[in-house]
Amino acid sequence: MRLENRAPEETVNYADEHPLKEFALLVIGVLGAIALGAALLGFFAGELAARVPFATEREYARGIAERFEQAKLTPAQRETRDALRALAAKLAAAMPLPPEISVSTHYADEPTVNAMATLGGQLVFYRGLLHKLESEEAVAMVLAHEIAHVRLRHPAAAMGRGVAVGLVLSAVSIGAGRSLGGEAVQRAAVLPLLKYSRDQERDADQLALGALVGVYGHAGGAAEVFKALAAAVPGEGARLAILQTHPLTEERIARLQALARERGWPLDGPRTPLPPALRPAGAGG
Amino acid sequence: MSWLDYLDWIVFLTLLAVGYFAGRAAESRHFASIRKREKELARVLAFATKYPPAAHVPQEVRLVSGSAVVGSDYFKQFVAGLRTLIGGRMKSYETLLDRARREAVLRMKEEARRRGYRLIVNVKVESSNITGGNRGGLPAVEAFAYGTALKPVAPAEPDRAA
Repeated sequence: MRLENRAPEETVNYADEHPLKEFALLVIGVLGAIALGAALLGFFAGELAARVPFATEREYARGIAERFEQAKLTPAQRETRDALRALAAKLAAAMPLPPEISVSTHYADEPTVNAMATLGGQLVFYRGLLHKLESEEAVAMVLAHEIAHVRLRHPAAAMGRGVAVGLVLSAVSIGAGRSLGGEAVQRAAVLPLLKYSRDQERDADQLALGALVGVYGHAGGAAEVFKALAAAVPGEGARLAILQTHPLTEERIARLQALARERGWPLDGPRTPLPPALRPAGAGG
Repeated sequence: MSWLDYLDWIVFLTLLAVGYFAGRAAESRHFASIRKREKELARVLAFATKYPPAAHVPQEVRLVSGSAVVGSDYFKQFVAGLRTLIGGRMKSYETLLDRARREAVLRMKEEARRRGYRLIVNVKVESSNITGGNRGGLPAVEAFAYGTALKPVAPAEPDRAA
């Protein structure tokens, strides 16, 4: 008997296949399925949450409202808040806001260049953004945009989506462990949520523009707002639209101008200077 | 700075690319070296049989062993991580284990050759994950090969004129 060790068979224990092939199949297949699943789940959860009566949402968000209501304001801050509230009431009437939905506007004396709408119709306007705007129309556009979010039940829909997708994601993550695959799954599931967020912004922009034109007769404040926002966050040109919560500035302006043209609204008109209550006080910025 | 917003993506994709290119280069180099040394050590025979071939008795025996630890790379871990969700062949880890097992057998043969043995029987190969499975990955595996090396007893001195 002749004893011999032959060279091992190279095709049995591992596949002689390009590793990028498996990579591509898995990324497209698994991550695609996750993204699609998150998109569907997010859609239904959002639709469902937006159908919860507004009174229920308001009750749920009472804690948020109380925190804002109980904040101690200086007389100047209160004056600013009241001016914002008066403007918001005008815009809400022009939108119009259905009777069961109401908004409460708050002023936050903080440098953040932002404004937001959250659960229960709570609107927050930050000093940082207010002081970047130069006309009442621009302030009104911001308010109208946030009121539109409330009118379209966006905060509730976004929360419904976040909770539903988050829950399922945590179940999937148990399977994938805290591995690199799990990380990729998280990234894939967030993409459709970002898409929904951008859609909400577009819808709110459109509804807001209608209200703005209803009150002032022209769409002049809109572009000013987005330009001020873009100036506050430089380098937007390098951003990937797909990874943003908001559409890119140029696209937003172009979209609103197209809408105004389509409806025959004047793109610009006489601007109203800011009333003293909305003008920067002191060295704030 | 806007690119800072994408720092996590940049880091992630960079690690993936580094893992892919570095891991693939290391793997093909390792396979080439394994194939070359398998040829060189072909004359040291290793078998799983428990019983030595008849021709080798009587003999001198000795335990020989070899172990190898091979690390995974970011790319392999990423692909395997996605694979855990749907199951199936973990191709990215199959090459890793194949390399570890063959390297361990080669080192065992190397030890045998250095000590003058040409035959190893009762060869066994074991493998273990040496990272304890934290992070759910499998970043490094060890393969351990061992067996009984046999050597015919040195032929008796030729008969001298007595």
